[in-house]
Amino acid sequence: MTESRRLSMLFIGFLLAAAVIGAGPYLLDTYSVNVLTRSLLYAAVALTVDLLWGYLGILTFGQSVFFAAGAYAAGLVFTHMDFTPGNAALALGLGVGGALLTAAIVGWLAFWHGASALYASVITLVLPIVATQLLYTGGEFTGSSSGLSGFTSFDISMEGWFWLAGGFLVCVTTLAVLFVQSDAGRLLVAVRENEQRCKYLGLDTSRLKITVYLACAVIGAVAGYLYAGYAMVVAPELAGFVFGTELVIWTALGGRGTLLGPVIGTLIVDYESAQLSGDYPFVWQLIIGVVFVLVIVAFPRGLLPVVADVPRRLFRSFLKRPARPVASVRLSTLDPALTQGEAPGDGPALAVEGVARRFGSLTVLDGIDFAARAGELVSLVGPNGAGKTTLMRCIADGAERSSGRIVVNGHDIGRRPPEACVALGVGRKFQMANVFETLTVAQCLQIARVRHARPSLWRRAGELHLPESAMHVIATTGLDRQLGTPAHLLSHGMKQALELAMVLALEPRVLLLDEPTAGLTKTERMQIGAILIDLARRQGLCVLLVEHDLDFVREISSRVIVLHQGRIVLDGSVEEVVNSELVKQVYAGSGHAGIQHQAAGREEVTP
Amino acid sequence: MTAPATNPPASANDTPALAVENLSSGYAGAVVVREVSLALQPGEIRAVLGKNGMGKSTLLKAVMGFLPKMGGVVRFEGTDATRLPPHRIARLGIGYVAQEKALFQDLTVEENLRLAVRAPDFAAALAEVETAFPFLLKRLRQRAGTLSGGEQKMLLMARALATGARLLLVDEITEGLQPSVIDRLAGVIRDARARHGTTMLLVEQHLPFALAVADRWAVLDRGEFADAGATTEPDAHARILRHLSV
Repeated sequence: MTESRRLSMLFIGFLLAAAVIGAGPYLLDTYSVNVLTRSLLYAAVALTVDLLWGYLGILTFGQSVFFAAGAYAAGLVFTHMDFTPGNAALALGLGVGGALLTAAIVGWLAFWHGASALYASVITLVLPIVATQLLYTGGEFTGSSSGLSGFTSFDISMEGWFWLAGGFLVCVTTLAVLFVQSDAGRLLVAVRENEQRCKYLGLDTSRLKITVYLACAVIGAVAGYLYAGYAMVVAPELAGFVFGTELVIWTALGGRGTLLGPVIGTLIVDYESAQLSGDYPFVWQLIIGVVFVLVIVAFPRGLLPVVADVPRRLFRSFLKRPARPVASVRLSTLDPALTQGEAPGDGPALAVEGVARRFGSLTVLDGIDFAARAGELVSLVGPNGAGKTTLMRCIADGAERSSGRIVVNGHDIGRRPPEACVALGVGRKFQMANVFETLTVAQCLQIARVRHARPSLWRRAGELHLPESAMHVIATTGLDRQLGTPAHLLSHGMKQALELAMVLALEPRVLLLDEPTAGLTKTERMQIGAILIDLARRQGLCVLLVEHDLDFVREISSRVIVLHQGRIVLDGSVEEVVNSELVKQVYAGSGHAGIQHQAAGREEVTP
Repeated sequence: MTAPATNPPASANDTPALAVENLSSGYAGAVVVREVSLALQPGEIRAVLGKNGMGKSTLLKAVMGFLPKMGGVVRFEGTDATRLPPHRIARLGIGYVAQEKALFQDLTVEENLRLAVRAPDFAAALAEVETAFPFLLKRLRQRAGTLSGGEQKMLLMARALATGARLLLVDEITEGLQPSVIDRLAGVIRDARARHGTTMLLVEQHLPFALAVADRWAVLDRGEFADAGATTEPDAHARILRHLSV
């Protein structure tokens, strides 16, 4: 789907939804209009649950608190002060401000570095419990358990409230859809998929999560403010974790990660609950509960994906055309002049001084000292378990080493997190291919470029500019023919190549490559090797490479460092190291000749 | 050049250990492996080579039941395993050494071994591990996730051998291993076959290793076997290289 087509589809959807809201009061009875006004506001909060849970992957039970913040701000101001337009604006400001403050504190606690997803969920569960207790202890000020009622509010008709609530919901839903489909919105999925990779692509994931959380808090607070204005009653249950959990259930029922699903799910369930509680006051909750269980068992993805699949399937069998992933993004090479970056300074690009890494009593690295200049291609070889990957990790993440100093381009990395090390010019490729499994090749590459090309909050770029080196890797391995393929369908070697291209897209000055060509054929290895040599010689990158293929090492390195049992045992030119007795002893074994020898002697072991 | 002694132990009957007939498999609409057939005699080691994305790993995953079979039949020692789920296939005596995410990272080395070994005699399994990679016995209490990448590969292979599986499907075991360990691994695999008659299907990128270990080789190209032969043929190396470099 082209970009203009997507935007016009969205606009048509917006108009249709607005028309439905506009016509609603003329088609529905008074009772339904009354109930649905509430449902429309609840749906806006369910939308925020879906943004956080369905897209960002944070299961949150506490969105009710932001709704209550807006509602109580209105209730408190209108009860304890006169109702004036100025005070109405003050109440909205207090509601939104209170929600923002709460969200900032909770976000800082839940999403700061090192906090796990489960920890974040627990905090969002604690939040409504604490909030409810605060409302209970507020005495006459908050109305304690009976809440606040009987305050004066806006003089708006019931239809007017319906249009206001509906208009608000349609607007935030449209904006949310526009955002999640945009280049910036894709970051949410990337963070959910693989937060580690995001950090090593230089993205501050904590800040991203908190920003989205704050925006969701504002939406919740405005919905709550409208609710208090229309219902003219606020109760502690609005902040409770029962409501918070119901929002999660509605989201799951409607279809997590679809935005529209949770909105429609909330409207149906809340409206039906009101109907049933009137008709069957004793068993309605049982009926609702059974339906929940049945839907979740039969359609684990929720209702909307199932409903949306029906026309898609009909359409497909009608056209007899298999759904082929098509990349809507064209790749182009960045002008090399723009990617050169600052000229490499005189000092070493990378200096490692006395670095050690201990896990309890186990010392994995000890007294590691070396410096590498820009333009050097240093291979790190050593037996399995010598500490090569640990050393890579220490250079790319300031929190990893136990002692010592690491300087990148003249900057001491101190205790900086990975994303800050990326900002200093470090690019790291992991040992096991580390990409975004559900995103396509083109999308993975786009996310790698986010640091350089700020993504649009509502548009999708049709063109992706990549540095020459990344383009070389993509063309060499044939990834350019698979731009629309989701990464999890790529072969192992292709994933390695994709990750390498992603890291090169960062335009690093110090490139850390942990077995970059594992899983590639000899021919592909040599092609990648040529690209690496070019990067080092022509573009002045400092490349540190872990490799086991000594032929490959000999071919491309300008220098080899041998690591053995956590220490540097040799550091010298390729010929000095590869032919040394030590390497033969601890590392190389008998080489290929040895294998052939064993092959020749296999009669002895075969019965 | 044919050396009779290098052939796998002949079995009494002619039932292949693994028979794959016209197997097709792939992902969501994309056929990756097309009507592939192969038969492994008991005790035979076969190496499957090929460029990236040609369907080597897909073949193993389809045999193991991790990917749907779009057509074809898989028989293990004469038993139809085409429609069985992976855990039932494993119980038939097939071990799978996957390329990625195959260890329980948060469990110790010993726990990883205990989970895989179904036989009551764990001591015998440990003895098998010791024969293959003795250093693992000193690391039994270490979390598998804290082993280095290469050490994890060694644990993976040792675990597969310790289960006593009669057929092993091995996906690029040499990746990330230092040369001397690859040497050792070749010996370990030949030795295990000699003692237990284990049949093996190896997917490999490391050509010298594949030729040293296997009895026969086959090259997979775009989901179909493009060439095959005995590893003892003098031109095997050159023929495979030709396929890999086109």
